[in-house]
Amino acid sequence: MKRSWTTLAATMACCGMLLAACSGGSNPNSEQGSNASPNPGESAAPQEKPTISWLNVLHTATPPTDTVLNKIEEYTGAEIEFSWIPDASKEERLNTALASDSLADIVTITLMENSSVRNALKAGVFWEISPYLDEFPNLAKISEGFRTSASIEGKLYGIPLQKQVARNGVIVRKDWLDKLGLQPPKTTAELFEVAKAFTENDPDGNGVKDTTGFMDRSDLVFGAFKTLSSYHGTPSVWSVSEDGKVLPEFESEGYVKTMDYMKGLYDGGYINQDFAVTAKTDQQQNFAQGKAGIYVGALFDSKNLLNLAKGVQDNMELIMLNNITLTGSESERAIWSTSNGVGGLLSFPKSEVKDENELRQVLKFVNDLMSDEVYALMTYGIQDVHYTIDGNKAVTITNTELWQQEVQPFSSSRPSELGYEIHDNDPLRAEAAKLIEENTKYAKLNPMYSLESPTNSAQGSELLKIVTDATYKYMLGEETLDDFNEAVAKWRKSGGDQIISEYEAAYKAAFGS
Amino acid sequence: MKQADAAAVPIHAGPGTKKQWMRHLKGIGRNKLLYLMIIPGFVYFVIFKYLPMGGLIISFQDYQPYLGIADSPWVGFKHFVRLFTEPTFGMLLGNTLILFGLELLFVFPIPILLALMLNEVRHRLFRNAIQTMIYIPHFMSWVIIVSISYVFLTVDGGVLNEIIAAFGGGKISFLQSSEWLRPMYILQIIWKEAGWSTIIYLAAITVVDPQLYEAAEMDGASRLRKIWHVTLPAIRPVIITLLILKIGNTLELGFEHMYLLLNSLNREVGEIFDTYIYTAGLKNGQLSFSTTVGMFKGLVGLILVMLTNRLAKKFGEDGVY
Repeated sequence: MKRSWTTLAATMACCGMLLAACSGGSNPNSEQGSNASPNPGESAAPQEKPTISWLNVLHTATPPTDTVLNKIEEYTGAEIEFSWIPDASKEERLNTALASDSLADIVTITLMENSSVRNALKAGVFWEISPYLDEFPNLAKISEGFRTSASIEGKLYGIPLQKQVARNGVIVRKDWLDKLGLQPPKTTAELFEVAKAFTENDPDGNGVKDTTGFMDRSDLVFGAFKTLSSYHGTPSVWSVSEDGKVLPEFESEGYVKTMDYMKGLYDGGYINQDFAVTAKTDQQQNFAQGKAGIYVGALFDSKNLLNLAKGVQDNMELIMLNNITLTGSESERAIWSTSNGVGGLLSFPKSEVKDENELRQVLKFVNDLMSDEVYALMTYGIQDVHYTIDGNKAVTITNTELWQQEVQPFSSSRPSELGYEIHDNDPLRAEAAKLIEENTKYAKLNPMYSLESPTNSAQGSELLKIVTDATYKYMLGEETLDDFNEAVAKWRKSGGDQIISEYEAAYKAAFGS
Repeated sequence: MKQADAAAVPIHAGPGTKKQWMRHLKGIGRNKLLYLMIIPGFVYFVIFKYLPMGGLIISFQDYQPYLGIADSPWVGFKHFVRLFTEPTFGMLLGNTLILFGLELLFVFPIPILLALMLNEVRHRLFRNAIQTMIYIPHFMSWVIIVSISYVFLTVDGGVLNEIIAAFGGGKISFLQSSEWLRPMYILQIIWKEAGWSTIIYLAAITVVDPQLYEAAEMDGASRLRKIWHVTLPAIRPVIITLLILKIGNTLELGFEHMYLLLNSLNREVGEIFDTYIYTAGLKNGQLSFSTTVGMFKGLVGLILVMLTNRLAKKFGEDGVY
């Protein structure tokens, strides 16, 4: 009996602590909004640092340390409080933040096509900022094109993150090409032959057939598939014919050709056989370990791959290609762009940024972020700590490891990545930048990007799964073309037809005819 | 704690008569202080379990977070109609039921078998060592277990495939096929949970009166006979209770585990209600619709528990309430 009394007492004590912990935990949250603004009663002392909270997306494994942050705070005169959301879980985190109204002064929204995000934007949860942009020198410079692309029904609900329009291309191991006496491929057929040679002719010279051509991951967009589909002449997400008929990319001839191409790679063993379940980190690690010789993805990944390969594949040399086409002719060059260069929005919820004064304060902060100095901080770090610079404003990163820890996490939060004089001296990075710049000329934009389709917002990603699954099954030889066409028909029947007609109407309304 | 509860429930919870109720009421009066101690637990259930149920209201609305429950438009049974007419519904229900059936058939009996076998082991040190070893996987998260199987099962360099290849077999793409998903799923559950559930049965077996064994021995019963006629009947109430609880969780297959295994190539046999709620509700932000799916799931679970409970009573067992 005595035993059970002690147990009871202990249980009660635990309950008490639990309750206390709960009530204690909720306090800081509710105060988050109020400490964002400087005390209005103290307007006589404007020097007081405003605190700006920022719900931001993290693309690296760990958040940055304070070193660079302190410098940015020094320069912008603001106290910054980050809440980082890992990129992998940004959808649910952003949606829960919206649903529970636990937002921050600045919210990085990278998923404008997500239905609840779109609904929130349209419902006026965030400030419409276009009237204020021209008050700030750097924000005023945002081009009309970016403003239109980032708008929803003509309204701009945040500062567009300006990125390069089309960043993807093919990265091939130059040392393997040389060893096998091959030329860099110019056509998709040549690329196929290179993949075959990399698989069968032992490019690493260890006498074992342990390499493949491609190293891909389970991603039809940012993996190899979409880039290869551009080379096969597939439109980016949607196409519009001259008489205003809208078609999804997977009903184009190029899409099927790309599936066949991938199927050929898979059947021959010229691509990693697990590509449908391979994660991005595994993909890059495997490539760095010399398991494959062709990587299709963002061109600036080349430097990361080379960094990863240090000490593992020291003779790795990479060549980047952005001019592959079906026949090799320049006129066919194309590369996809889903978001037309808009990386997302920096939005300001009305619940946190209470009035115009506060809004101007936050806008000024973003304006300051776009200055040359802060751009350099967020891109390269602190001079003589992370990098050195020469007379031509060419930067050499001196401490890569430190840079990765302290600077890299910031780079995806830069409001703009375009039009700065400072640039990278590293040949691979400079080359990547050049090719990405070149891509802009051949970019295939998504014609529906700034248009509205309520059905697509609500069910689009759910419906797309039908086609995505069928695509994988076709490529892995589990289904025939008839099955794939059936899946597309099912997509149309379950809501695709409605999406198409909504887009056709929206297109007509926006561009006439 | 848990094992003691499980063992105690069927023994003490006798069928209630009026007299007993009167005694209960008197008991409350006498032990005020003890009942006062229930309050924290009671408050916990009200705050964290019952009040949130009010949120189910949003399945009859087109809920928008920034409008709140008060201002979101009412849409009646729209989301229910969508759920039941969508082609995915059949797939979700089918997958859930098949996986549940497999789990009941293959996972549920294994801890019982293990417990009976361990009980027969006379060497204590050996028995304890085995028991500890088989329940350790319970403390690993699904992420770890799925990652381990991933390393074992990949086509390029997966251990199992290398072994198959060494014996001259063709490599099997376990992770990218719809046929292998279900066996893999079930085997992973067995590996993780079998040992842990064994503990409950072992605890139940320890309370069996040794005289019964002695009596059986006198009658010349063999070991198998003793298991069949003494041990199994003794732990039958525990088995029934756990079975009812298990069936109550029919549609609760475990989101994390399945979510980690799903991919484009096995979705048609692997998508279950939990993963669907996650993608539709949290990723696409259709809060009302996913609440509807969740409510449906809960109701089906409730009905199944009541049915099994009634069935158990019919067969002369105690049930859980």
